[in-house]
Amino acid sequence: MSIILDSTPAIATPADDVSPEPQRRFGIGRGLAWAFMILVILVSLFPFYWMLRTALSSNNALYAGGDSLLPVQPSAGGFERVFGLQTGQAAIDAGGAGQEIHFWRYLFNSVVVSTLITAGQVFFSAMAAYSFARLQWKHRERVFGFFLAGLMIPSIFTLLPNFVLIKQLGLVDTLLGIALPTMFMTPFAVFFLRQFFLGISREVEEAALIDGASKTRVFFTLILPMSVAPITTLAILTYIASWNEYFWALLVSYTDKSRVLTVALGVFKSQTPQTGPDWSGLMAATLVAALPMLLLFMIFAKRIVNSIGFSGIK
Amino acid sequence: MTTIRQRIRAATVGVILAASTLTACSGGGGTSTNGTIEYWLWDSAQQPGYQKCADAFHEANPDLKIHISQYGWDTYWSKLTAGFIADTAPDVFTDHLSKFAQFVDLKVLRPLDDIAPTADIQDGDYQEGLAELWKGQDGKRYGAPKDWDTIAIFYDAAVLKAAGVNPSDLQNLNWNPKDGGTFEKLVAHLTVDVNGKRGDEPGFDKEHVKMHGLSAEGSGGGGWGQTQWSAFAGSAGWQATDKNPWGTKFNLDQPSLQDTLSWYFGLVNKGYMPSYAEIGGTNSLGTDKQIQSGTAAMGLSGSWMISTFTKLTDAKGKKLDIGLAPTPIGPSGKRASMFNGLADSVTTLSKQPENAAKWVKFLSGEQCQNIIGQSGVVFPARPAGTDLAINYNKTERKLDVTPFTQQVKDKTTFLFPVTTNAADITALMAPRLDAVYIGSSPVTSLTKLNNQLDKLFEVAS
Repeated sequence: MSIILDSTPAIATPADDVSPEPQRRFGIGRGLAWAFMILVILVSLFPFYWMLRTALSSNNALYAGGDSLLPVQPSAGGFERVFGLQTGQAAIDAGGAGQEIHFWRYLFNSVVVSTLITAGQVFFSAMAAYSFARLQWKHRERVFGFFLAGLMIPSIFTLLPNFVLIKQLGLVDTLLGIALPTMFMTPFAVFFLRQFFLGISREVEEAALIDGASKTRVFFTLILPMSVAPITTLAILTYIASWNEYFWALLVSYTDKSRVLTVALGVFKSQTPQTGPDWSGLMAATLVAALPMLLLFMIFAKRIVNSIGFSGIK
Repeated sequence: MTTIRQRIRAATVGVILAASTLTACSGGGGTSTNGTIEYWLWDSAQQPGYQKCADAFHEANPDLKIHISQYGWDTYWSKLTAGFIADTAPDVFTDHLSKFAQFVDLKVLRPLDDIAPTADIQDGDYQEGLAELWKGQDGKRYGAPKDWDTIAIFYDAAVLKAAGVNPSDLQNLNWNPKDGGTFEKLVAHLTVDVNGKRGDEPGFDKEHVKMHGLSAEGSGGGGWGQTQWSAFAGSAGWQATDKNPWGTKFNLDQPSLQDTLSWYFGLVNKGYMPSYAEIGGTNSLGTDKQIQSGTAAMGLSGSWMISTFTKLTDAKGKKLDIGLAPTPIGPSGKRASMFNGLADSVTTLSKQPENAAKWVKFLSGEQCQNIIGQSGVVFPARPAGTDLAINYNKTERKLDVTPFTQQVKDKTTFLFPVTTNAADITALMAPRLDAVYIGSSPVTSLTKLNNQLDKLFEVAS
């Protein structure tokens, strides 16, 4: 995007060629720029290629061809293990864990957990953010300050107390138990939305209040629709974060009924201190687990970019 | 082996555990009383064998069922610790020597002498010295021996052939800290630089080595050099602590160790062994991968790696011809190998200690250990089970595992140093030994480290 604003605005018709660039389609500069862009794209895509190449290699031959650009001893074994098509001894012989894997079950669990967390967190955080941004109440700023302090507590500190609480609620080994700690809100989400709500013009809101709308109605019919972009951004970030969450889900889950994808695919990590991971399985698993998120990004990429150039009054 | 974060986590968890004993947890979950015994292990390769044991146990005790959960090493200990806090721990779990002292201190292990089924476990039924490792400072037994491991040299037979070395030459190597003996001669000969010159030829370029004669597995600061230098230090007559188990004074200041390490890490400067940078430091590539990738010709590794080594192939999918040789004879006139083992422990959180103990008794008994021996993944703790594992390797893998078993017969093994404060020892030792391996600190710096360790025990005991 290179729009050059002249200091003397002339009314330009589409026929006019005011572009400062010469007619030459492809100069040296442009060629260099293209070459540079292509190089950057290749460099950033190479790790993905390397994952794919490793995923399609045989684990037992991997280190014999460490410098090969193509898969070593090509085999679909890694992907077979991910989808649970290769069980028991065959997987162990290939350097895997030999666990039974019910891939679609885990995928379903992941979707349920991520959806629960995203829907709950975004909705409740928006309410809290509105209250912090717009409603007048005693000690509001002080409470918000306390709230922000929550951002500074490393999650490892809350991990065990949360786990004990989930245990006492009888929610160990349930999907709800995995979703619960972040389902109602996170300080970040509240802070993020509050910043946007502060930017929404008061005039619009006051006009609605004068017309007799309640605060609740203002929130639902004005504030939320005007904040679609930041809310979408937050929803996507939350979805990805909860999709990738590993350690908490690992602690809470004990059986297949609450096992999410990240935890299930953790069996491809190192099984013993010395043997090292099942690399081809691990890379196949990582690619498969990242795929839904890549799709999500592709669909909403524009929205994320747009939300950054967000403004209140259209 | 363990990351800084894991160590910090272990330390914080210790504090939290101590605090959590004040707040009683209620509710169900965790161990059950309905006759299902929860059993955890971390090694996936051993799961099929133990599943067979579980089936046999169920046959013998129809009212009891075993549910096995396997978690990889990285997550196993965090999940276990969280389980101790929130009362979701298993009834029985596979225990590790580097962890068990802390668990005893935290009172999460039930002494096996206090539960009827395991009260009559006899030390003499197992390979010598194994059962004693699992007794706490109070003399009580906290683990029933499961398996054992020793160290030997793994090599790629094709590489030896190309170098004109006869595999039988490897069976009687010797070494000393001055010139490295016949062992170093062999390592030098197996080292090849990018121009094809060997380490013992004139014009050898030690800066550009293609294949090192000996693999490296890091500095060994996380596990007393188990697969790195312990075989050399042991054959120089060195012991890590004043007594074992439960030593409180350390011997890192003794010349026998410092000379050994000076020679061992000196192999890096000669180009005979990969440097810290080449193998990725703390989470180093294992010897198996170094041999497979042609980075190293041979290397020391543990018996638990046999199945991994024998599965290795070249880039075309052809199996590598892997051979074994015993660790070299040292200045003491004997070979040496660290002797280590795993055991099964019963948790104090188990609601059915009697049933749990029955299962532990079965795991440490003849029937189960023979099943494990026939699966050939590890050497079971009972001599009969060990013999079955030896046979399995001979017939199924065409591999002579004598280098691992002979040292146990000849009594040239020494036990893994069992102490309290294992996590703190690792936190102190790992960075110091890394520095020696990298070459940024002299070997004499270990004297200072030794004082710190001694002080730690004065303060902590």
